[in-house]
Amino acid sequence: MSRDNLLAEDDSTLRGWPGLPDSLRRAATGPATAATFALLVVPFALGWYDAALFSPLALPGYLLFGIGTAIGNAVAPRFEFWLYWAPFLAGSYGVSVIVGYGYERWIARTDDRSSL
Amino acid sequence: MRRRTLLATGGVLVGAATTGVVSDPTGNDRLLAAARDPGDGGEASTTTERLLADTDHETTLYAIDAPSDGPTAMIFGGVHGDERSGIDVAHEVTEWYPDAGTLVVVPETDRVAVENDEREGVDGDLNRHFPADEEPRSALARGVWDAVERHDPDVVLDLHRSLGILGLHQEYVGQAVFHSPGADGEALADRLDDDAVPWYLPFHRFTSLESNASGPLLFQHAARELGADGYLFETTEFLLDRETKVEMTRLATAHVLSLHGLLEAGESA
Ligand SMILES: [Zn+2]
Repeated sequence: MSRDNLLAEDDSTLRGWPGLPDSLRRAATGPATAATFALLVVPFALGWYDAALFSPLALPGYLLFGIGTAIGNAVAPRFEFWLYWAPFLAGSYGVSVIVGYGYERWIARTDDRSSL
Repeated sequence: MRRRTLLATGGVLVGAATTGVVSDPTGNDRLLAAARDPGDGGEASTTTERLLADTDHETTLYAIDAPSDGPTAMIFGGVHGDERSGIDVAHEVTEWYPDAGTLVVVPETDRVAVENDEREGVDGDLNRHFPADEEPRSALARGVWDAVERHDPDVVLDLHRSLGILGLHQEYVGQAVFHSPGADGEALADRLDDDAVPWYLPFHRFTSLESNASGPLLFQHAARELGADGYLFETTEFLLDRETKVEMTRLATAHVLSLHGLLEAGESA
């Protein structure tokens, strides 16, 4: 995938996000962000639906959800565990944006180097 | 959604479904087959008793005698009425065939609580009614204790489930084996981890905890008064569906019977 291609695509999809720096805008919806989010959420959601569908791929989401409930249960006991889905999705998105941002930076660096 | 995003999501979905099916925990078919098969030593004989007959608490006790001599194990389900996995497994165990000794099962110990699908029955939490150096605290507890004294078990196993996980969730005690000082809770926890907990569900690994003998729980009272090896098994509601909780509870029961010589096939398959 060429750099031009990425830019063209991002320009068209991100018109609704003016004030943000380019790198952040790309990180917010970039492919690495989406892939990370899918990896954190989808395999874990399958296991939630049916425990037999838990798999090694669900481990990151499982750890994130488990630690989230551990903190929540220590701070505010007596919440039902399904209530943790909202913070889990938000947290997963946060982690995904960080990964996506790192990925964009890495792409930018490799492109800089190859154009020398 | 952009095509790449769709592809990434689709890839993760397919990958997860595939690895999920492939890496499904193996269980322990050999052990469960040994529990369910009559074996060739001759027929076991089952007798039933009505505990607390003609009261609201009336409940059935099953005693299954193996053809050869051996220890007596008592299994309790439904001490808490809303913990269905233990009740289901205890009912199933009434159809098992021990290789030696006597298997005594009370599937719906607090029957009022079971019928109301509530943790506690009319007199509160049955599993706090067995204090040291005192009579059991309620009519139900006295009726249950009479039966325990009559059968004089070498092993007692009480089946439970918690909402969360011991060590992870501060107020919960799931995925744990509480046991009396002489009982081998550590071996039980290890065998359950081997059979039923895949490596990628690390929070669900079982913890064994030696319990002090002074508490008011049924298994503690049996250990204290009768010198029985006592176990209280807890699975969890957290991320486990009904089938998985039942399978873990079933394996815990079979392993206790095998650890104490009522079943011959013991090691993990
Ligand atoms: Zn319980």
